[in-house]
Amino acid sequence: MDRKWRVWGTLGVLAALAVGGLLGFIVLPVVQGRAAGIDAFTAICRAVGILPGSPARPTPPYHAEPQPVTKVAWTTATFEELYRADRANGARLAGERCISCHTLEGNTPDPTIPRNIGQSVFALYKQLHDFRSGSRVNETMSPLVKDLDDKQIADLAAYYGRLFRGAIDPDVSGRYAGIDIQNIVSNGDVARGLPPCSACHATRAGGPIETPTLTGQYAQYLEAQLKAFASGARHNDIYHRMRSVAAKLTSNEIRLLAIQYSGE
Amino acid sequence: MKHNRNLVLAHLWLAFAVFAIAAVFGVWLMWVRSPLHAPYENPQNYFRSVTLHGVSMAYVLTTFFAMGFGYFVAETALGRDIPGIRWAWAAFVAGAIGAVMAALTVLAGDASVLYTFYPPLTASPLFYIGLVLVVGGSWVWCTIMIVAMTQWKRANPGLAVPLAMFATVANAIMWLWTTVGVAAELLFQVIPAALGWTDTVDVGMSRTLFSWTLHAIVYFWLLPAYIAFYTMAPEAAGGRLYSDTMGRLTFVLFLLYSLPVGLHHLFMDPEHSTGFKFVQTALTALVTVPTLLTVFTITASFEVAGRLNGGTGLFGWLRALPWRQPMVLATGLAFFMLWFGGGGGLINMSYGMNAMIHNTSWVTAHFHLIFGGTVVIMYFAIAYQIWPQLTGRVADADDLAQQRWQLWLWAVGMMVMTLPWHWLGLEGQWRRVAHFDYDDPLIAWWASWVDLSLLGGVILLISASLFIVNLARLHARQPAGRAGPQPLRYAVPLHPITRLPAALNGFALWNVLVLVLMAAAYGWPVGQFIAQPSPAAIVHHVDRPS
Repeated sequence: MDRKWRVWGTLGVLAALAVGGLLGFIVLPVVQGRAAGIDAFTAICRAVGILPGSPARPTPPYHAEPQPVTKVAWTTATFEELYRADRANGARLAGERCISCHTLEGNTPDPTIPRNIGQSVFALYKQLHDFRSGSRVNETMSPLVKDLDDKQIADLAAYYGRLFRGAIDPDVSGRYAGIDIQNIVSNGDVARGLPPCSACHATRAGGPIETPTLTGQYAQYLEAQLKAFASGARHNDIYHRMRSVAAKLTSNEIRLLAIQYSGE
Repeated sequence: MKHNRNLVLAHLWLAFAVFAIAAVFGVWLMWVRSPLHAPYENPQNYFRSVTLHGVSMAYVLTTFFAMGFGYFVAETALGRDIPGIRWAWAAFVAGAIGAVMAALTVLAGDASVLYTFYPPLTASPLFYIGLVLVVGGSWVWCTIMIVAMTQWKRANPGLAVPLAMFATVANAIMWLWTTVGVAAELLFQVIPAALGWTDTVDVGMSRTLFSWTLHAIVYFWLLPAYIAFYTMAPEAAGGRLYSDTMGRLTFVLFLLYSLPVGLHHLFMDPEHSTGFKFVQTALTALVTVPTLLTVFTITASFEVAGRLNGGTGLFGWLRALPWRQPMVLATGLAFFMLWFGGGGGLINMSYGMNAMIHNTSWVTAHFHLIFGGTVVIMYFAIAYQIWPQLTGRVADADDLAQQRWQLWLWAVGMMVMTLPWHWLGLEGQWRRVAHFDYDDPLIAWWASWVDLSLLGGVILLISASLFIVNLARLHARQPAGRAGPQPLRYAVPLHPITRLPAALNGFALWNVLVLVLMAAAYGWPVGQFIAQPSPAAIVHHVDRPS
């Protein structure tokens, strides 16, 4: 009886170990690896821990470079640059590069192109900077700003950002697009984890500092940008703020929000 | 029980005194996390209290209880004196000094490291040295238990070691294996870092070594409860143990499968491969076997008792059980809580589902229900059962009624506290967080559930106080006189043991198999840190005070 217990006890324990090992080291990694496009040998080595990574997922390249969403840093040097910006030089550059789409007054009639009039200097600076660094991509804008330096960008931002004549007064603009939309603007939606738009976008620019003025902007442009944020096509928003917000909005809400802000 | 009752009483009173103090801190912790304003509320006090509550309940209460109860079993089940009684007292004194050292360091704010040993959280060296003294004391106890059983076997060749003692030694051997992990972590990593002798701590290695200890320690706390299930509850119910072999098999299986399973505490950690995590998941699943064996055997034993008491029909025997006996009542309540706690545990041990509840209140709720509920309620029942033997006082009907009240309050309080806590964990409430902003609309609805949980905590504190009162009241009474209390009888198996295989009367085979399992389950997970340099991200650079 003693021997029987010894033999069967040992076999029982080893069998449990073998079943666990067979599943954990061979069956699961091979099956999971096949689905993830990893060969059986690599998948097994990963399951054992000899090779790094998971047998169920392709491993991202080890030396992948981190991509910041923007290269603008709001340092005192940036503020100083904007403060000392040369508006006359900005006007000259606008005459060379921007006039055909944005007009010198910043008040284009084309609703697919944003109005620069009444826009914040900081928002303009950041967007121009992002177009140049590649953080934001547009087939017309990207090549146009490629060769500008920081000072020229600051000059342009200062030029357009101080054009107020003819701008819509944000305090009286906006159009009521229904109680639901007003609710999203003022209160957000807790159930969806949506913060209110007004947490950042005030009647004028608002805050954080790079927040753009939305009032008086073209509805068509606003709608296109919200959709681009929602799909991730546009991704130069710090901390994913606009992408996470826009992705939670329905397309109807996006359309109505654009109308409410534009005042059209 | 004549010779060493002071030794047992010293252990149990120390354990229960620490338990009572820690219970107060426990309620305060619930209060701080609730929307109600608690006194002395600030994050420093919160983490200090978590550490004190956890260390007291998980290390001091359990270790001293297991030791005291072990000495009691060794003397009463074997009918012999405990060997090395001076060593036992020395171990008690060392452990008591260690516990006080650790407690003072925590109160001074030098050891708010929770009750886990996870660097980079590092405490004052005194905290660790204090706990090493507690664990060192428990090693002396383990040695005494093993020697006691060996001497008895030599004096009684061919006879079966009484189940209570066999199980106690299983626990002692398991504890020796268990503490290897944390001892290695403390001696080679944490204490040198705390003393400033080393510059770096490989956090991956220390988490792995702690995981070695972290799950088996739970079974060290649990086994005294199981010893009571098998050897005390059937007798208290007026019946017999359905199967002695099932009991021995259960304790052997706990010894085998409590150890090579700790990686299930590190499912979300990056330093281990999926294969080893899976193997340890599979081995963890086997722990359900002794649990279910026990539920079956004890239910069958109770059925025998119920039918002997005149119970008939499919469930009539349940009504015929002597529920007025605290031990029987506690066993019933413990099993009730075990269903919920065990079910939750199955989710924790599942490699996939674990991700859902990782680092949430679910985990805290789970171990409060299974340890604070199932296990501690059996500690109470054991104390009530053996108190007459230890003090020479007999409990009267009033005492028994008060003991039942206390047990009911504990079970109700534990359910009221832990069920909402589980629910909040599923909803994403974090554990180990000092403050919640209930004004935030996202979590505002948690408030009433947390309040309910706090109410459960208050009921538990009332029950804990009543427990101390019950024990003290009995202890302070006049001794029962010459006749004294009835000697304690352990449950007799339904079928007498005629011949027992050596494997179920000793631990040589199982120790070899534990070694095999540990080598297979932990060999590479520990060895990889030696074989390969660790990624810089998991090596902690020890702060130097400037």
